[in-house]
Amino acid sequence: MNGYAGKILRVNLTTGTFTKEPTPADVARDFIGGRGFGIYFLLKEVPKGADPLGPENKLIISSGPISGMMIPGGGKCDWTTKAPLTGGYAGASMGGHFTAEMRYAGLDSIILEGISPKPVYLFIDNDRIELRDASGLWGKATFEVEKQFKEKLGEEYQIATIGPGGENMVSYACINHDYGRQAGRGGVGAVMGSKKVKAIVLHGTKSIPVADMQAYRKAGMALYKACKDAEGLKEWIRYGTTTVVDWCNQVGALPTRNFSAGSFEGAEGIYGKTMREKIVITDKGCFGCPSPCGKYSRSKKYNSYVEGPEYETIGLMGSNLGIDDIEVVAQANLLCDDLGIDTISAGNSIGWAMECYQKGIFTKKDTDGLDLKFGNVEAIFTLIGKIARKEGFGVLLGEGVKRASKKIGQGTEKFAIHVKGMEQSAYATHNATAMLLAYMTCDVGAHHNRSWAITYDLQVGRDLVVPEKVARVIWLQNFRPMFDVIGGCRLQWVELSIDRDLYVPALEAITGIHRSWEDLEKVGDRIWNMTRMFWARENDGFGREWDLPPARFYEDAPTTGATKGQITKLEDVNRLLDMYYEQRGWDSNGLPTLETIENLGLEAVVA
Amino acid sequence: MTASIRLSDSLKNLLGSEGLFTIEAGHSVREAIVSLGINPDLVAVVSVGDEMQSKDYLIQEGDTVRLLAVIGGG
Repeated sequence: MNGYAGKILRVNLTTGTFTKEPTPADVARDFIGGRGFGIYFLLKEVPKGADPLGPENKLIISSGPISGMMIPGGGKCDWTTKAPLTGGYAGASMGGHFTAEMRYAGLDSIILEGISPKPVYLFIDNDRIELRDASGLWGKATFEVEKQFKEKLGEEYQIATIGPGGENMVSYACINHDYGRQAGRGGVGAVMGSKKVKAIVLHGTKSIPVADMQAYRKAGMALYKACKDAEGLKEWIRYGTTTVVDWCNQVGALPTRNFSAGSFEGAEGIYGKTMREKIVITDKGCFGCPSPCGKYSRSKKYNSYVEGPEYETIGLMGSNLGIDDIEVVAQANLLCDDLGIDTISAGNSIGWAMECYQKGIFTKKDTDGLDLKFGNVEAIFTLIGKIARKEGFGVLLGEGVKRASKKIGQGTEKFAIHVKGMEQSAYATHNATAMLLAYMTCDVGAHHNRSWAITYDLQVGRDLVVPEKVARVIWLQNFRPMFDVIGGCRLQWVELSIDRDLYVPALEAITGIHRSWEDLEKVGDRIWNMTRMFWARENDGFGREWDLPPARFYEDAPTTGATKGQITKLEDVNRLLDMYYEQRGWDSNGLPTLETIENLGLEAVVA
Repeated sequence: MTASIRLSDSLKNLLGSEGLFTIEAGHSVREAIVSLGINPDLVAVVSVGDEMQSKDYLIQEGDTVRLLAVIGGG
């Protein structure tokens, strides 16, 4: 089958056995790959009510047709599972070189099933597949694990590993790769830890069949040329995602002190410009990337090296915690990556705890003696370790802000910044209604990458509540995640503004199937509805209430900064949902109607 | 006493605008942006030479000021 490595590897960890099966042609036709494969297998194979950390849950790693190909950004793979953080769908995208190597080993997907009786790592070298003892690696941090494998096996091996956070099944543990890339959100690392899989180590030398080699070369070169010629490439490479720190601060979108405001008085200390001048030593890209957004940094203060920080970490570990020093953010980034926890959820959880402490809800008796004032650097570093190791006060924070605030009560739920249990990424949405809706309806919880609409808010009027805004959010939700389906990175389109139609001939040349963006968006729509059905299937009473944003964004206007005094009214929140459900073809409780399911041809899939 | 302003492809697409303007030096970037009819909030990055500058930067003769939008986030 052109465009596919051809096999799906199932690893039964309980029995220690492997099965390779052909990549199903009908699934490839209907769901293409990546997160399309992920939600297909998740819905079909993980039984209703499965414990996210139990043997029935699966961890599904999938590439797409452009993964590992000479197409800009062809270095992405998707990690799908039932999320321990939320109890719903998790689909975490990871860059780097893992997915290319996986395809060269002949695999489109790897599905981890069951639970190993002892710590293991999965070793793959083309057709040689083994589960090897990982007892000696258990307990080690991610950088050490990756370093050991690289030294032992060679640089050509690609490694995805969990740290202590994953081993301890912290609800937002991540999976680390290439010393600085993560499958970050939802607790995919906890699922890997629950299965006692410390790492996946792989290498391959096989080819991927291509339908039309000449057309593939031509389309690939056209994409690279578009990137090379793009106005803005120079700045993008120089600053990466940190380009937006300054701007977010100006427009009131920079999360500040647990999202109580959107502008930070110390923001200059964490600007992209400051970071480039103070700590960045080189740029770092993923497989086949012509516009590397990764920045490799050295902190003199801490005598340490780290990939990053990128914008989300700067927002959550910087301004959100009252930190105005980019070296502190870089060090917090390093600790989280090395210990294997998501910087976004960790920064959010610590921010929530700091606000509780500031309000007198927590005292030093609760916090293991830590003085949890905003800006306390040592307390932040200590807490990251406690969360990853599930020690003392870190146990509560490792559950995420939804569960933690429910346990503590006392009104702390109102400033627990999450949707559906996933902590919000780094855009404050007090007055940006399209972005607020994007977070409310995102298929994994409050994450930005499915639909990012702040500039659109600013362009058309940030407090407007109109059908056009809702339509924009839905279009983005159907379109942007398709990059995760085809196995590519969206950033060349997002930030370099290259023509997305250039991907169409590339995909056709590789797979032999012509798909316009209109066709691809229909696949995106189907996938979006499938994730919604998964949430509904797994959570009794799932519906409208789950889509509501944190009360902070409709009750608690900032008292400082660019959005001072600004808020989105609850009635507008509900109007947004009404319009969204109607345009999606969902009922008033936010569930796809039978007619919508039939129109999308999903009857058999969700039956 | 002139300088030029170049818009990134992302900003051009956002505004449906041409990409190169000649302006008088001596004004701030913010003033120049407004004089071109562009909403300053839509400009995420101001770059002169290799350095990011604020919108308060005073444009010098011969400068090429590059303006970028952020249309997609991460």
